[in-house]
Amino acid sequence: MADSVVQTIHRDPALFYWILFPITIVMILTGVLRHYFTVLLQTAPKKLPLAALREQRSLLRGVNLRCNASAISPSSFASRKAYLVSAYKDGTFLKDPENRGKAAPNPMTDPAAMEGMMGMMKGNMAMMVPQTLIMGWINAFFAGFVVLKLPFPLTLRFKSMLQSGVATRDLDVRWVSSLSWYFLNLFGLQSVFIFILGNENAANQMASQMSQMNPGAAGTGMFQPGQDPDKMFLNEAENLEVMEHEYILKGVEQRLLASI
Amino acid sequence: MATIALSSPLSQGNPEALSLSQQTAQYLQKYTPSRLPIPIPLLSSPESTDLWASYEKLLLSCLRTGDDKSAHECLEKLIQRFGATNERVMGLRGLYQEAIADGDTALEKILREYEEVLEGGSANTPIMKRRIALLRNLGKTNGAIDALVELLDASPTDIEAWSELADLYLSQGFFSQAEYCLEEILLVAPNAWNVHARLGELLYMGLGNNESNAPKLLAESIRRFCRSIELCDGYLRGYYGLKLTTDRLSKMIQKDPKVLSNSSSTTDSDEIPMPTEQIVNALHEKATSALAQIARKADSGQHSEVELLAVKSLLDKSAQSATR
Repeated sequence: MADSVVQTIHRDPALFYWILFPITIVMILTGVLRHYFTVLLQTAPKKLPLAALREQRSLLRGVNLRCNASAISPSSFASRKAYLVSAYKDGTFLKDPENRGKAAPNPMTDPAAMEGMMGMMKGNMAMMVPQTLIMGWINAFFAGFVVLKLPFPLTLRFKSMLQSGVATRDLDVRWVSSLSWYFLNLFGLQSVFIFILGNENAANQMASQMSQMNPGAAGTGMFQPGQDPDKMFLNEAENLEVMEHEYILKGVEQRLLASI
Repeated sequence: MATIALSSPLSQGNPEALSLSQQTAQYLQKYTPSRLPIPIPLLSSPESTDLWASYEKLLLSCLRTGDDKSAHECLEKLIQRFGATNERVMGLRGLYQEAIADGDTALEKILREYEEVLEGGSANTPIMKRRIALLRNLGKTNGAIDALVELLDASPTDIEAWSELADLYLSQGFFSQAEYCLEEILLVAPNAWNVHARLGELLYMGLGNNESNAPKLLAESIRRFCRSIELCDGYLRGYYGLKLTTDRLSKMIQKDPKVLSNSSSTTDSDEIPMPTEQIVNALHEKATSALAQIARKADSGQHSEVELLAVKSLLDKSAQSATR
């Protein structure tokens, strides 16, 4: 590629109005539609029955006791520890005590777990379907067009990014093909969506992919489907039994006198 | 929106609540949600969590200042947005109904409504809490305690409920139970200095019942106050308590110098040794000087007038006894 010679391609200005513009607008509109679609599909988080709430919070109480035991006196700690350890071992807090010891239910048949999976499926659908459609649309109508010339030079490595669909070896990297323009839009419209839809929009695919990576953080709580709460309780009981207690009020007078 | 500061309604003073409720009508007009079936961005102001949080806050301050009409409007807005079956909205609605109810019979009726809601065994925490508050208001303290214990059995990490239970137990004179509740709060929020100070106060208040163990309890109470000051510099309540407790302990020491050694000999190995006389006196001096400093800087506006008056009277009292 001789850099001294500036490549000139005479483009029909209609290319700009009939390809560049439509692609951009369609991308923005699908983003907005996707946002409303996801909002519509969202199911309200299901309410926990009281027993399940009790199970979760009781485990949390043990964890709290283990982490913050230094705030209470040794005698109070000992009595709490004795109570919680025996209750955990007896399975007092379990949601359904008669199911104790049985194998954990298969997450595929557990309706509660199915619910979560359906939610994820819906999110994926809202993402995949329009993407496939638009990609097909662009491939069918606009494949192989060079639509735009960047006003700055780029290195050769950008060629695969900017000229997908145009298999020409000698074309200057500054030319952008229609398919590449689609990809640039797909990944680069984030700030436009934030401007139009506000900060918590569901239009952007990057954000939704991020949330799919760790669905546990988003809601379902402490118990993942398929985990046996009884085992977790026993585990926590063991943790409590071996822990060493240190009282934070020990020597607090000296600390206070020394500090000020 | 900027005019509505989103601080907790509990921490605002009376004048602040009044000014908030006076702004309500204006605010309601300004931020009416759009009537379009689909919210169109850019045309209507975007709805945010802040907006609804400020509606809730306005509702509370309107109820507090007796402006029931604006409160009703706020409530209507919240019901329109979140539906009448939303737990939090149900709780707020109950609060409103309790506020406009006149006489105990109306309140009893609301109480029955709450019980009907709760009958299904679902975990509707706001309504459970409203029911407890209503029971307490109606003077059925034992019922309120029972309901709270039930709530806490289901959700033992609820700080609000624990502190309410501590308060109820204290009002009935059950010091050790109240202490247990406060300790539970500390297990969730170990750095809550106000709870440390409260625990110190509780131990101090419980002294009257328990003569034999008094020095030990006092020492524990002193340590609690020390911890609260350690966590929050210049904490008025902590210093106040520290002065009271150290004063009492040093008087005990003067009366019977063996108090400290007597009780420390009986303690087991894992208990904390009693503080020495020097430490008690040093802490007393420190608390006095800190309180004097707080009283001197009275016009800084950090503390409420009531608190400052209490500090001044305490300082005056101790000065009098010193000159005598």
